[in-house]
Order: sequence, then structure tokens, then C-alpha cells
Amino acid sequence: MNDTNAYFLLAAILAPILAGVILLFGARFTDTTRRAIAAFGFGWPLVIGIMLYGLFVPGLAGEYNFELRLPTGLESIGIYLHLGLNGISMPLFILAGTVGFAAGLYSMYSDAERPHLYLALLLFMLGGLMGTFASIDVFFFYFFHELALIPTFIMIGIWGGVGRRGAAIEMTIYLTLGALLSLLGLIALYVESGAASFSLPELRDYLASQPLSETVQNNIYALLLFGFGILVSLFPFHSWAPKGYAVAPTGAAMLHAGVLKKFGLYGLLQIAGPLLPAGAAHWFPWLIWLALGNILIIGLVTLAQRDLKMMLGYSSVMHMGYAFLGLACFSVVGAGGALLMMVAHGFSVALLFMLSTCIYHRSQTFDMSAMGSLATKTPVLAAFFVAGIMASIGLPGFGNFWGEFTIFVALAESELTRWLVAPAAIGIIISAIYGLRAVGNIFYGQPSEAFAERLESAPIEDLKGFEKLPACILVGALLLTGIFPRIFSDDANRELAEIYPAAEHHFPASAGVSEPAATTIYQEDAH
Amino acid sequence: MTATQSLLVVLLAPLFSAVVIGLFLRRFGQLAAYISVATSGVIFLAAVHAVWTAGGEIVHDSWLWLSFGAFDVSMGVFLDDVSATMMLMVTFVGFLIHVFSLGYMAKDASLARYFGGLSIFMCSMLGIVLADNLVMIFVFWELVGFSSYMLIGHYMTKPAAAAAQKKAFIVNRIGDLGFVVGIAYAYWHFGTTDLEVMGALVGADPNLIHAGIAALLMCGFIGKSAQFPLHVWLPDAMAGPTPVSALIHAATMVAAGGYFLIRIVYLFPPEVLSIIVWLGVFGAVYAGFCAYARRDIKQVLAYSTLSQLGYIGAAFGLGYPGIALFHLITHAFFKALLFLGAGSVIHGCHHEQDIFKLGGLWRKMPVTALTFLIGILALCGVYGFSGYYSKDAILIAGGMTNVPVAVLLTFGALLTAGYMGRLFWIVFLGKPNSEAAAHAKESPLVMVVPLVLLALLSIAGGWLGYWPEVLGATIKADKAELIQMTGYDAMYLRVALLGTLAWIIGLGGSFFFYGRGASEDRLEKIAAPLYSFINQRLWFDETYDFYVLKVQQRFADLLSLLDVFLIKGVLVRGSAGLVGLVGMCARSLHVGSIHGYVYWFLAGMLLLWAVAAGIFG
Repeated sequence: MNDTNAYFLLAAILAPILAGVILLFGARFTDTTRRAIAAFGFGWPLVIGIMLYGLFVPGLAGEYNFELRLPTGLESIGIYLHLGLNGISMPLFILAGTVGFAAGLYSMYSDAERPHLYLALLLFMLGGLMGTFASIDVFFFYFFHELALIPTFIMIGIWGGVGRRGAAIEMTIYLTLGALLSLLGLIALYVESGAASFSLPELRDYLASQPLSETVQNNIYALLLFGFGILVSLFPFHSWAPKGYAVAPTGAAMLHAGVLKKFGLYGLLQIAGPLLPAGAAHWFPWLIWLALGNILIIGLVTLAQRDLKMMLGYSSVMHMGYAFLGLACFSVVGAGGALLMMVAHGFSVALLFMLSTCIYHRSQTFDMSAMGSLATKTPVLAAFFVAGIMASIGLPGFGNFWGEFTIFVALAESELTRWLVAPAAIGIIISAIYGLRAVGNIFYGQPSEAFAERLESAPIEDLKGFEKLPACILVGALLLTGIFPRIFSDDANRELAEIYPAAEHHFPASAGVSEPAATTIYQEDAH
Repeated sequence: MTATQSLLVVLLAPLFSAVVIGLFLRRFGQLAAYISVATSGVIFLAAVHAVWTAGGEIVHDSWLWLSFGAFDVSMGVFLDDVSATMMLMVTFVGFLIHVFSLGYMAKDASLARYFGGLSIFMCSMLGIVLADNLVMIFVFWELVGFSSYMLIGHYMTKPAAAAAQKKAFIVNRIGDLGFVVGIAYAYWHFGTTDLEVMGALVGADPNLIHAGIAALLMCGFIGKSAQFPLHVWLPDAMAGPTPVSALIHAATMVAAGGYFLIRIVYLFPPEVLSIIVWLGVFGAVYAGFCAYARRDIKQVLAYSTLSQLGYIGAAFGLGYPGIALFHLITHAFFKALLFLGAGSVIHGCHHEQDIFKLGGLWRKMPVTALTFLIGILALCGVYGFSGYYSKDAILIAGGMTNVPVAVLLTFGALLTAGYMGRLFWIVFLGKPNSEAAAHAKESPLVMVVPLVLLALLSIAGGWLGYWPEVLGATIKADKAELIQMTGYDAMYLRVALLGTLAWIIGLGGSFFFYGRGASEDRLEKIAAPLYSFINQRLWFDETYDFYVLKVQQRFADLLSLLDVFLIKGVLVRGSAGLVGLVGMCARSLHVGSIHGYVYWFLAGMLLLWAVAAGIFG
């Protein structure tokens, strides 16, 4: 069953880890050697991701491409290293590869102390991320997530900005709590289902034939919802995110906010929802209210931020609300919208975190009200930043738009969620306000007095090559998903139709999906 | 080439030009300008070719764009007589304004950014025109908003420009909120958002018309076409370069709102239409008053645009989309002409925009002055000029169906003639009132020729007899409907008489009131309270500013404070504190002091006794 291409999947996970291990002992490497090794580790997963996308065969729904099943010595408790990709995990696998490459390129030239260690930790993170989205085995899905999470803490602790200690501790406690809750949920799922392995399709088959009782489903879903929710900064468990991202070193912030955070959503999308439909139905009201909290309350909090990085951190918390709303719909449209949102948001938030550091290198401040008219000196940086902000506030042409828009449509599909469209869509105004305000304060208008002096005296250069290339890659990815969303959506749609069958709609029967009035007429004509 | 292929050229050529400029020509402004101008010429030719090949047949092709479950979006082109008319207008006026920009922007430092922006705008605008479904309209709707944002902020160090670009985008987003919700509802209501299919469905069963959905979609129009109460962004948008004001904020983008309504006219029930009528009438009269207190030549024109957009909305709301389209087209010609004329004046007078510092330009800039006068006559609806035909059609439609509307709109026409007269007499007659005006020179040929061509269109654009059969169908149908009504002839005579009276009084009155080439505002001098009341424009901007700064921002700050203190401080740190407290108590169990153990022992005994005695129930 193990086809040759499947070993490339394994290689995508092992290559960065291997490069990381080499770099751990590379304190005396020259710059060139260090960068060559790192470039190998960062580039390989993206190359493999693109190659596997090309080789992807849209087979039967529910089946995996490039399946690999290796023994681990833990067979007695049903754990195999079981890898593979389907239409849902493929976009995220490519997201991880792309953002990893961009973050790696940027970090290779950063001025961090002990760069070999910095790059090694980032490479471990990347290896973990590739593994997370390539895992079919639920145990390894979780294991790889932890592998990526722990370097984040260390990196904040060592290379973080001002106030790193408090932020690192809060983030560590919070995320560890979230991870533990979700681990409990996953183990409970395995035990209660009675399946012989942690393999996702096997669990699904088991649960399809003998669904768990409603109470058990409710309890396990609660563990997964709040566990994963904490990891994705579900309101009100979000307070770790803005401060954590604000002090995190750029590479770690890009990988964590861009990719690692999507682990929780991916878990809800691929595991919790489909396996525990009754639980999802039970917690549905909670989820929508908390998600609205993300969009509206955190949206307004974002408006109050003056610090560029805090603003980006809060806005990323806000946008997660849309993904949660999409998942709450429990339909193909909603889940599809959430998936597009996850991918596009990953690109855009990584881009913005990177550019905010580029701005800092030129302005020496994150205080937006203390800047102004930077675009006169750095037009290219301004253009990229405007692109990133426009993407994140959902301008069509960038992938984020399709995510948000599909989620709005999904909400309107059912009577039960129809009222949510308007309050959720208020977010498009709020995000426009803070996004454009940031652009205006930093790049347009007149500079503050102190900043005017700096613009005069300090040598401020436009983006350099090592900053431009990652930015180009990320903007290119955003445009690609925005102009041609079907590169990801077609495969995902087939897969989602399998795990979110329309018949199993979890809403109360009286408030199910309403037939479009127009279709009804067609049918009457036919009779 | 088939018609569809030509339409794709129309849609994609400007995008291609923008990409080329953005990627390779940032430092080669002159080359970028030529490429952009050439592209705009090519798309005009392609548009003509498409209409020619289609030969009056409807062209409708679409391709799947995104599909999830029961949700399908397609991207397509839909060419009928309405979109063909609009497309030809946009491409031709767009081409002339591109050419004009070559002269007007010649000394600008960021030519490439400017012309790249114009190309993006053309692509997005033509996307709206050709779109075959609501989602695609919305996509390009947002993109015109983006290009407008970029072009308003072209002079990026000007604080007014930075504020105006933000305001324009955000105010438009408020309208788009309703628009996007309306699309989401419409999709599940009709099972599609395809314009042709929805039209057929509603035609088969009028019960499908849904007032709520129509009202939500109308919000998009209110934002984009700057209708009350979202009109505040348009005057500020004049901070952009003048050709941009002509193209985006007068001729095409702001009219896109009206065009959008005309595309989906079959979705509107009478109650929503009457909302649109009254919004339009209010805007037409309100903006007419505001224009009297403006000193900036472009601001006067901006309020005139607001007022004319009100006429378009009113015509649509009265149930005559064809006449709304007619006025939209003629307005595009004469308003583009007026803005470009203003651009020529500004260019000739070293960027002096205060009308009381101009004056006496009639001799120095004869072509500009003459074409500007033609624009004014067309705008005022002088017999024979294009504006006469379209505005009279609106007034007649009002007179036949809703008399108060007709009366107010006629009064609006009087106001229009008054402020346009004020503008013309002060700027072009009398003596120069500043150094800049004294040394004014006629603009170069590259700017003058577009003026002349637009002036010809401003005269002839209303002669429906010369419109090719494939373009005028909807307009002619609506006019024919009016003509067949009983009492048309009497109404025609009455409107023609009143309309003519309106412009004679307006132009003449302003001539005698303001005089030639005045250096100060006479209204301000003799009726200061009235002037300052008009100048305040009913305090809309002040109210909105107050809301944004004092209500919304303070609420956001309060929430931010609560977020930090309640959630982070009390709940999270608090729970950490609780764990710490438990830890402290637990630690005192193991301190190793005999006293400690004795007390704990006694406490335990007490607890055991209490349980045994049944105190805890």
C-alpha cells in the first residue's frame, strides 16, 4: 500500500528536522554553510508540496493520496505513523510549506544572536507543521503539533521583544492547557469508540457504524472545542495571542500565527465535527456566540490599538471568528469557507507580521501614531503592506475574500443561522477601519515631528532582496487563491461532501435548510 | 474574433497593463503612461468590435469560479443593450481622460503609480459593467473602491488626501455591508445570482420579489453613488488628481451604483422604489444648496455631481430605468467635460482652485472657456444640448406619476443653473484676481482635444435619433412609454417651459448677483448667517466625526481596557492566583513544624466529627 511518492511525504517532514539537527551543532559554520543547510530544510517541504499537488489524484472521496503506514513499536495501543493527504489537508500542507519557506528565507538573514540555534528551532517547527497536516493517525497529528509548539515557547523566551517573560509564560500555560484538553478529548474519542487504532478513517468507520451516545459526544466535543478553541484564540480565551505575537521573533510569529494556529481549526473541521455531530449540535449556540465575540468585541478592541504588532495580533484573533462561524454552520459551504479562510489568513498574517518587522527596522518604533509618510521613502514596502492589509480586510482578488464571502453565504443557507449574516458582516467595516487607519498612519500624511527628523537624518532604504522575495511569495499565494480559488476548493469540496452529508444536518428538523424559493417553482413546473 | 473574445480583451487588457506597469515600469513613468493610454484605446476598439459582432444579440457566457456544496459562483460576461451602452461610454470617456492625463500629470513624480491605478480602475469598472451575476458585480465593485482609494491618495503627503481616501473606502464599505448580506440572502432565495436567470424567474412569478433583499442590495447603490446619508465621501474625494475626479468620481464609478440598479430593476417592489425616489430628490436639492457655499472649483462640481446622481436615482425610483440610464450617459459626457475643463483651468493657473482667486480666463483660455460653457449649458438643460433631453424626460416622468417629485426636481434645476452660473461668471469673466490667473495660458493640445470631443458629445449625446439601434433600446422603450401616456403633450410643454425658465433665471440671476470675476462671495457679505448655514451642509460631517471619535473610539478604548483587565487580569491571572493560593495552603501542610501538624490534625478531627454528626446533611 505504500507507494513511492508517499516517501516524499515523509521526506517533507524529516528534511527540516534533519537540517535543524545539523544546525544545532553548527555554531562554527560560516554564514554561507549555515544558510545553505537552512535553505535546504526550508525549501524542501515546499518543493515536495508543489510536486505532490501536481501528482494528486482526485480519487474516491474519503480516500487518501500518498498513504504511508509505518510501524512505530506502539502497535499494541493502535499507533502507527500513518501519513497521507486528502483534499482538506493538501491546502494546509502547501500553506505550511509556503509560509515555512517565506519565514525561513526571512530568518536566514535576520540579525538574531546565535543564528544557528534560531534557525534550528524554526526548522523543527516547520517539520512539526508538515507532519501535523500530513498525519492520518490522530496520535501523530497531535504529536507533531507539540513538536512545533515547544520551539515557539523557547524562541519567544530567548529572542522575544520587550516583555517577553510574561508573554512567554502566559502563552505557554495557555497553549499547554489547550493542548492538554484536546489530547484528553482525542484519547477519550479513541477509548470510547472502541476502534483498534488511532487512524482517522478507521475511527470514522467505527463511529459511523456505532455512534456514541449523545452525552458522551457532548462531553468529548466540549473537550475538543475548548481545547482546540484555546489554541485558535476563541473568545474569551484569546488573551495570549496579541501579546504573544507582539513579542515573538518574526519567524516564529509567522509560523505560529500563519500555520500552527490552524491546527485547532483543522482538528475541529476534520475530526471533532464529523465524528461527533451530536456534540457539535449541542455546542452550536456556544460556538456562534463566542465566534461573534471574536468578530465584534475583538474587532472593536483592535480599533483601540496603537501598537502595530498588537493591532495585527488582535486582528488575527478577530478573523478566526469567521472560521469558527463557518465551522458552526456544519455544512459543506461553511466548512469550505472556513478552509479557504484558514489558508488565505495564513498567508496574509504571515506577510503582515513580516512586514511589521521590516517597518520597525526602518522606523525604530511600533507606535503607529508616531510614524507617517513612510511611503515617500519606501514605496515598495508600502505597496506590499497595502496588499497585505487589503487581503486581510477581504478585498476581492485575494484569497481571504472567498473565505469570508463563502462563510456569509453559508450562514444564510439555514434558517437557524440566517440572522447571523448581518452582525458577522459588520466585521468588514471594522476591519476596513483599522486596516486603513494603519496604512494611513504609517505610510501617508505628514510624519510626526520626531519621525520627520528620523526620515531626514537616518538612512532609510526600501525593501531589500531577502525581504522582497518572501513578500512576493506570500502575495503571490494570496493572489493565486483569490483569482483562482478552485486550485484548492474543488478537491476540498469533494472531500467535505463526504464528511458533511447534507442529510446529517445537525440543526433541529423544523429549522433545516430551506429550499430556494426559485427551485421550488422549477420543480412545480416539472410536474 | 467572437464577441465573447473581444469582451475578454476589454476585461483583461487593462489588468495586463496594470500588472506590467506594477512589475516592470515603476521607474519608467513615461513608458507606463503610454502603455496605459494605448491600452485604454485598445479596449475602446475591442468594445466597439464586441458590440458590432454581437449585432444586437445578447451575449452571455460564464465559467465556474468557485463551488462548495450547493453554492456555485461563476464569472461571466453578459452583453445586452444596457451593458453595451455603458461599456462604450466607459471605454470612450476613459480613453479621453487617459489622454488628458498625459498633459495634466506630465510633471508628476509618480506617473507609473498613477497610470497603473487608472488601468486597475478600468479593469474593475468594466468588470462591473460586463458582470453576469451579483457576486461578480460585488467583486469588481470592491475593486473599483480600491482603485478609487489608491487614486484619491495619489498626493500621499497631503493630509487631506490621506483622510479622504480612508473616508471614501470606509463609507463605501458601510453600503457594501448591506450589499453583501443582500447577495447572501438572494443566493438562497433564487438559487442563483445570475442576472438573466433571476430576471426570468421573477418574470415567471412576481411573488419572488422580496422587499428585504431589494432594500439590502440598494445599500450598495447608496454607498457607491453617494446618496444620502452616505454622500459625505464624494466631496472629500476631490483631493485626488482632477482627471481621477472626472473619470471615477463623476463619469463612471459613482454612476456604477445607478447602473447596478438598472441591471436588477426587476427585483424592486414599489415600496423600495419610493425610498430611492425620495433619497434621490433629497440629494438633488440638498447638494444644490451646498454648492453655493463652496469656493473650490472642484467642490462645486462635486456637489453638482451629487445633485445629478440624485436625479438618476429619482428617475430609477419613478420606475423608468431607461431614462435613468439616459441621464447617466449624458451626465457622464458633460460632467467629465466640466471636470476636465476645471483640470485645464487648474493646470493653467498653477494649481489654484479657489474660484475667487481666478477670473478673466475667457481671453486667456478660450477653448477651455468655450467647452466649459457648453458643459454648463448641457448640465442646465438648455434646449438642444444633451442634458435637456435626459433631464426633461425625468421631469416629465415625475410630472406624470408623482407631481411633488417633479416640482422639487425642477427647483433643483433652478439651483443647478444658479451655482453653475456663479462658477462660470466668477472664473471666466472679469479680471484675474491672482498672479496665477493673470499668467494663465491655454492648455496643450493633448488636453484640449479631449475637451472638444467631450463638448461635441455633450451637445449631441441627447439626440436619440443618432443612437445606433443596438444601444438605445431600453432608453427608447421608456421614452415611448411616456409618450403614449395621456396628457403627455401638455406635460411636455409645461416641463419644457418651466425647465427653460429655470435655467434662464438661474444663469441670469447669478450673473446679476455675483457679477463678473468677483474676488469675494457676495452672498457671504450680505447674508452671512445664511451663507454659514449652507456652508455647514446640515452638519453631516460633524455628526459622523463626532460619532467616530467620541462614541465609537471611546467604546473601543473601553472594550480594550476591559479586555486587558477583566479577561486577562482577573480571569486568567486570577485563576493563576487561585492555583497559587491552593498551593500555599497545601504547602503549609508539609512545613515540618509540629505545631502545624497539630492544628491540621485538630481541624481534620473537627471535620470528621461534623460529617459523622450529620451537620452537612
